[in-house]
Amino acid sequence: MSTGALSAREIQAKVLATQGRPGAIHTLLIAVAGAAAALGAWCWSVQIRVGLQVSGLNRPVGWAVYITNFVFWVGVAHSGTLISAVLFLLRARFRTAVYRVAEAMTVFGVMTAGLFPVIHLGRPWFAYWLFPYPNERHLWVNFRSPLMWDVFAVSTYFIVSAIFLTVGIVPDAAALRDASAGWRRRFYGFFAFGWRGTDEEWRHYARAYLYFAAFATPLVFSVHSVVSWDFAVSILPGWHSTIFPPYFVAGAIFSGIALVVTLLVPLRRVLHLESLITSWHLDMTSRVVLLTSLIVTYSYILEYVLAFRGPPSDERSTLLYRATGPFAPLFWIMVACNCVFPLLLFLRKVRARPAALLVICILVNVGMWLERFVIIVTSLSHDRIPFDWWGMYRPTFVEAGITVGSLGWFFFWFLIFVKLLPAVSISEMKEAAVEGVEDAG
Amino acid sequence: MRAEPGVLGVFADLTRGAQAIRALRAAGHSDIRMASPAPFPELVEALGRPRSRLDSVTLSGALLGVAAGFALCIGTAIAWPLLTGGKPIVSVPPFVIIAFEVAVLIGAGVNLVALAVTVGRGRRRRPVPFDPRFSADRVGVFVVGGNLGEAETILRKNGAEEVRRVA
Repeated sequence: MSTGALSAREIQAKVLATQGRPGAIHTLLIAVAGAAAALGAWCWSVQIRVGLQVSGLNRPVGWAVYITNFVFWVGVAHSGTLISAVLFLLRARFRTAVYRVAEAMTVFGVMTAGLFPVIHLGRPWFAYWLFPYPNERHLWVNFRSPLMWDVFAVSTYFIVSAIFLTVGIVPDAAALRDASAGWRRRFYGFFAFGWRGTDEEWRHYARAYLYFAAFATPLVFSVHSVVSWDFAVSILPGWHSTIFPPYFVAGAIFSGIALVVTLLVPLRRVLHLESLITSWHLDMTSRVVLLTSLIVTYSYILEYVLAFRGPPSDERSTLLYRATGPFAPLFWIMVACNCVFPLLLFLRKVRARPAALLVICILVNVGMWLERFVIIVTSLSHDRIPFDWWGMYRPTFVEAGITVGSLGWFFFWFLIFVKLLPAVSISEMKEAAVEGVEDAG
Repeated sequence: MRAEPGVLGVFADLTRGAQAIRALRAAGHSDIRMASPAPFPELVEALGRPRSRLDSVTLSGALLGVAAGFALCIGTAIAWPLLTGGKPIVSVPPFVIIAFEVAVLIGAGVNLVALAVTVGRGRRRRPVPFDPRFSADRVGVFVVGGNLGEAETILRKNGAEEVRRVA
């Protein structure tokens, strides 16, 4: 088949080659991720047995690392749908090579995020109370509470993202099924759902995919808006702000795209996918990182401008405490990571160097985690109720272990995914190659 | 799935495959089927098949979701009419959020089921002989009914690298 840079068969062969037995480095990484997840599970078991006193949570700081992790992982999950759905509807061609990784990241990100509200409960065996069902007293959940909106938003997001990922894999699984033998043939056959690639199948598939994208697109904007309302709907200075939804959505896309680049740079090297995930794809993706960094910077500035406009207020006091109080080092590291270092992406030669991109995007991820921590903890620790006064918060070993465990849990599933299912969309790459899209790079 | 009797042409070049489809249609062949590794627009356009009608089913699912979301919120609020924060028992603005999420959830679910049903039905009604090359790098054009001898000639003339009768 006539194509652009690579032929359809070469594209398929390249992706098929990534599906072999994991090498030593890959196996080691899976083992490390599994060990980290096990550490997290053990720390959680300690918390379940002993109680929440093993965490640093106390009055007035009742939300801290666990909720930070929840917001962080929901945030990084956003870029997957942004790349796969929003950029699909906008016909942005650079998404083709990177969207599968982003979609997988979305599903595993939400799987990780979903653990934290349960961990934070203290009594996780009552987690089912969050779901709407008529209990023995006919008491239903409160649909006027942002926490309940969150349950619906995150559950819907997880289910729709998982469907989107699975449906996208179907034609690729069929291609790998027809090129494989043994258990892999049966395995891919399961995900292919009997796909033959007939015109009748493509006709309905293309339409359905468009609708999945249309459904997923408002979800990108709604889910993190809902997460931001967990804070903004309260009356706590530092949280009670109307700019939170766009601020959180931009931050979510920022951190998510940065994590996509963080995953793509080593992945293309380890799986030898440089000819499919080219420097052009990385360049275009890093431009989105730069754009969202500027939006996030604008939001930071706007937050302070709004607080400092008019007479002195609790809002102003909280924001001053955030920038000059005991948590100030974390605040300024956040500013450097999210607002200053990404400016280097204005330089074409920085965008052309995968190692530089990797470093910047890791710093962005650190910065975005700190952003959530700073918003949550500084607002709570600067309390106004006389009997609570101000309270410092320090995470304990258990909280740190669970946080490391969440990283391990995420990477464990992700590393297994890229060895079992195609990390690049074969059918879309073939289509793009025939249309000569790669030449655009 | 056993395909009906017909002629199958295998193409390495999709432009030639599209040409063959156009030539077959011009010659009066109405039942032309195709299998390809991707939904190449050139081939889809040449076949001239009508657009899938998943729209109405999916949209109905989404509307059902809106109704279900509001019904859940309003029904449960009325079932336990507890005043909190001076807000009305039926507070529409927060319920819009739940209705939206349920609409997306049911809409996407219905879309998935509709896709599975239509693809399965299409596979039964318009089967194409299986060839692993069609998921790799070849396009299969399958002609059913009509003058199969003529179809064979048209396929060869338009550059099919392989033409065979399917009994």
